[in-house]
Amino acid sequence: MIKVKNLKKAFIQGQARTQVLKGVDLQVEEGEFVAIMGPSGSGKSTLLQLLGGLDIPTEGDILINQNNLSEMTEKERTIFRRKYIGFIFQNYQLLPTLNVEENIAFPLHADGSLTMEKHRFILELLDSVGLKELGRKRANLLSGGQQQRVAIARALVNTPSVLLADEPTGNLDRNKAEEILGLISRFNRENNQTIIMVTHDIFAAGFADRIILFKDGVIDQVISRKDDDYAKYVANFMA
Amino acid sequence: MIMLNMWRISWLNITQNKKRFFISLLGIILGIAFVTSMLIADKTTNDVFEYYEQMYVANADYWVLSDEHTYSEDVVTSVLTSSAVTETLLALDKQAFFELEGDQSLNQRSVRITGVNDQNSSLLKLPVIEGSLDNEGLVIPDVVANLLNKEVGDTIRFADLGEAKVSAIVEYTQLLASPSDWEGAEQKSFRIMAPLDLLRDWTGMDNELSYVRFQTNNEGEKLFQSLQEEFRNSNVYVQPVVADDRQSNDIGGLYTFFYLIAGLSMFISGFIVFNMIYTSVMERKKEFAIMKSFGYLQRSVSRLILIEVILLALIGAAIGVPIGVWLGDMFMQTLLSVFEFDMVYTLNWQIPILTAVVIGVLFPVVFSLFPIYNAGKTSVLLTLKMADQTHSSKSRYIFRAVLGAGLLIFAFIDHPVSYLAILASIILLFPFLLLGVNRIFKPILKLFFGYSGSLAAKNLTQQLNRNANTSAILAVGIAVILLLSAVIESAPEGYENEIRNTYGGDLRVTSEAAWSNQDKAKLLAYDSIANVEPLTEATPITWETIDGEKRQFSIFAVDKEGPILFDRSEKEKSYNELTKEPSILLGERAFDEWGGNVGEYIYINTPSGKQQFEVLDVVKTSNYSGYVAFMDEHHLNNEFGWANSFDMLLTLNDGYTGEQLRDQLWLDYSNHLSKVETVEDEIKSTTSALTGMNELILIMLVLIIGLASIGTANTLLMNTLERTSEIGTIRALGLTKQQVKKMIIGEGLLIGLSGVIGGIISGMVLLYVTSQSKLLAGFISFQIPLGNIILALIAGVSLSLFASWISSATASKISIISSLKEG
Ligand SMILES: Nc1ncnc2c1ncn2[C@@H]1O[C@H](COP(=O)(O)OP(=O)(O)OP(=O)(O)O)[C@@H](O)[C@H]1O
Ligand SMILES: [Mg+2]
Repeated sequence: MIKVKNLKKAFIQGQARTQVLKGVDLQVEEGEFVAIMGPSGSGKSTLLQLLGGLDIPTEGDILINQNNLSEMTEKERTIFRRKYIGFIFQNYQLLPTLNVEENIAFPLHADGSLTMEKHRFILELLDSVGLKELGRKRANLLSGGQQQRVAIARALVNTPSVLLADEPTGNLDRNKAEEILGLISRFNRENNQTIIMVTHDIFAAGFADRIILFKDGVIDQVISRKDDDYAKYVANFMA
Repeated sequence: MIMLNMWRISWLNITQNKKRFFISLLGIILGIAFVTSMLIADKTTNDVFEYYEQMYVANADYWVLSDEHTYSEDVVTSVLTSSAVTETLLALDKQAFFELEGDQSLNQRSVRITGVNDQNSSLLKLPVIEGSLDNEGLVIPDVVANLLNKEVGDTIRFADLGEAKVSAIVEYTQLLASPSDWEGAEQKSFRIMAPLDLLRDWTGMDNELSYVRFQTNNEGEKLFQSLQEEFRNSNVYVQPVVADDRQSNDIGGLYTFFYLIAGLSMFISGFIVFNMIYTSVMERKKEFAIMKSFGYLQRSVSRLILIEVILLALIGAAIGVPIGVWLGDMFMQTLLSVFEFDMVYTLNWQIPILTAVVIGVLFPVVFSLFPIYNAGKTSVLLTLKMADQTHSSKSRYIFRAVLGAGLLIFAFIDHPVSYLAILASIILLFPFLLLGVNRIFKPILKLFFGYSGSLAAKNLTQQLNRNANTSAILAVGIAVILLLSAVIESAPEGYENEIRNTYGGDLRVTSEAAWSNQDKAKLLAYDSIANVEPLTEATPITWETIDGEKRQFSIFAVDKEGPILFDRSEKEKSYNELTKEPSILLGERAFDEWGGNVGEYIYINTPSGKQQFEVLDVVKTSNYSGYVAFMDEHHLNNEFGWANSFDMLLTLNDGYTGEQLRDQLWLDYSNHLSKVETVEDEIKSTTSALTGMNELILIMLVLIIGLASIGTANTLLMNTLERTSEIGTIRALGLTKQQVKKMIIGEGLLIGLSGVIGGIISGMVLLYVTSQSKLLAGFISFQIPLGNIILALIAGVSLSLFASWISSATASKISIISSLKEG
């Protein structure tokens, strides 16, 4: 379970101070699939980064399965991240010198937990994201969509209990996006994985149990997929 | 106004990354400092030798000497009365012994007194420290004053001669070069100066002179020729007074050493500048592209970078030059103490500073030309596509490998250019060496550093060229210094062999009178003496190089039955050739200085006038570390006009040493012996400077490795800054700060290790080439300088570790989220 309490984040650059998150309260249950939508610059990526422990909040707390990220040391946070969290970055962030397989295996290497079994799992993942043939290819030679799929496989490789995805389908066509979203949902179901996904795409958001509408650094509205007119509502909001 | 703005923008640009700015600046500062100090050392050394030479020559133009110990003053009345002569100095040398309280041996107490008619003569520049030149008392060098504990006004007594007061104490001067302790006095006589009249009183040599020095007006040359004519058949002869520092010191090699170190430092800091500018250009390609799309010309882009470089260079020069002056001073102190002269020097810094500033500004500009050219080429399209340009194409690597391997052929060509070719080849082949070292050490690194280790090995290949160049520079530094140290380490042995082979005996004894047959028989009666051979040395004799420069040397008489004074495979033939026509063999150094070819003629001012002799051959000889030549005894006596011989070469029976014999000889021949030199003395005096040099070399080794390590720090920092986004990503993916640090340190370790390994290998190649070269064959043995290799290994690896620690700190501080933004 993820608990976010009164989360605030400001960036200070010289004299300028940008208050990005202005007090976010949120609770996500274990195994829940949540989508976050909102206008560009509203702070979605920032929230996700804080959830992943990539940065520390200016104020407020984040608890993931009772672990308070703010109370951890830098090192503890890093180790926590590699054990329990998978991250799909908005701009993929593949390591250009490594090949596709090495990129996917990276989180396992970090704590030396790459086993034969895990290696088979990597090949499975590669197959699932449709890149079976490209395992040995260097990451910086892939197309944007291919890179995005490698990033997804990498985030799933340590079967994290929490998957944080920043626009995982932004660069994919409808068919591919559907496949990937299906894969994520499957992980969500089979491993009881908690998923928080930022997206601009109503279609993608449709896979989530709940949609959080984000605006100007605060949660504007939360809608459940069970709500009948959610699609229309979201479309209005985004416009 | 606009210009001012440009400088301000440039300043902001170069200081944008503090650490990078600091490291690059440090590289430039040290580079300029080393260059400055070496230029100063070069000029100052030159000055020092010139100063002492000048002091030796003073204002004298010619001197009249004799092939006997002394001659009658009447012989030179024509000189003393000539209208062409403006000043004269009469001198008489006499060997004597200090009378002392202590238990020093006769040998240790031996002193040569030079009596002069005027201590204030301008033909005799005496650097007085204390007292005055009153022509009544003794003039002694300060080392003697200290050793005998005498001050101005104190009395010094001489056995069987008399006593006199000290009237002046002088600084080191060649004329009065004396040992500074009793140990040194075993091998060398003291030298002091007394009034001529006093010395004549003491010795009863009333009308005698050893030499007359004189200064002439513009009629001098004419007088010289007429004197040559006049003295043709007498026992005196006239010679020009010649100053030439290389005559007795092999300091040519020293200058090469200075320039080598200066060049090396320039090369390394040039590379650091290149690196900095290159990365900064690469980073700002987009900015330049935008500038150009707004209509800026290539020129303005280049100018912007040029101003940055000049700014950096000026700051570097402003700080580096003063440091260099200080460093130069320290270096000179060490250097002169190595030579064991109590020389004084004044730092010659004006011209070196000017030169250093010019070099200091020029070389960063030269080294940044390529990045500037590159920046000018910036095309909007290419930049937006962000094409992967860092990886050179395969064909380029193949070309590099082939060229590098090809240049290695020079290892088998005996020519100075080979050294440059081999160094170039090392740099070209370095990427491959780096890959090899990488492969070998990857498992070890993995063992110690875990996954960070394998990442380090992987990253190293990412900027292969840059990393290889960094290692290569460390390697070149190490290689050159290892070569120097190997040469210096094995040179003493080479000298020793050469001296033993060509000294002609175990001891050389010099007398003030000709050796009689009784003397010879008496010598042979010693248990220790196996053989006695007379040695004829005509000295000083002036000669002319091909370019008409005057030089001075000794000519030894040789013959088939006599002692072996030079090394030559076809000795027999050489001796026979010499006996035919009056002709000459030149020692190597004299031959090089002369500049002619075998078969050509050399002009020599002989006691019988100016003559020319055919140069039959060049020979290897130690005699006596200066310029030297050999003639047939018969021709030396007749055509050349040198009749007398005052030296004996003694060969010892097994089990006896020269040291033991020396004291006995002084006792037995005290009335006319003037010098006893053992072959060991000669070896020691030739090699002591070299042994001292080795320490200097070690300091240089560490300094150069230090400078190269700044290059490593610079490269690693570049690598880190360029990979900000990647490092952020791996941190985001769960690598701890510690793991990132280990990764960067692993990279630094691989670069350092490759540099050291490459340096040692190339040092060995250079050493092999040197030991195979004809010039040094048998002189430099192929000996591995193990101590220095270990030092290079320790210094190279630990300084690289330190260098990588600097960038590892930067890398671990990279903020994850801002680096994600950049990706
Ligand atoms: N490191 C930073 N320093 C300063 N300001 C930042 C930083 N990171 C983000 N911001 C600012 O915070 C705001 C939110 O950024 P964020 O990336 O979270 O937006 P977003 O909702 O993900 O937008 P998008 O949909 O375009 O990805 C923006 O105004 C951005 O300029
Ligand atoms: Mg975003």
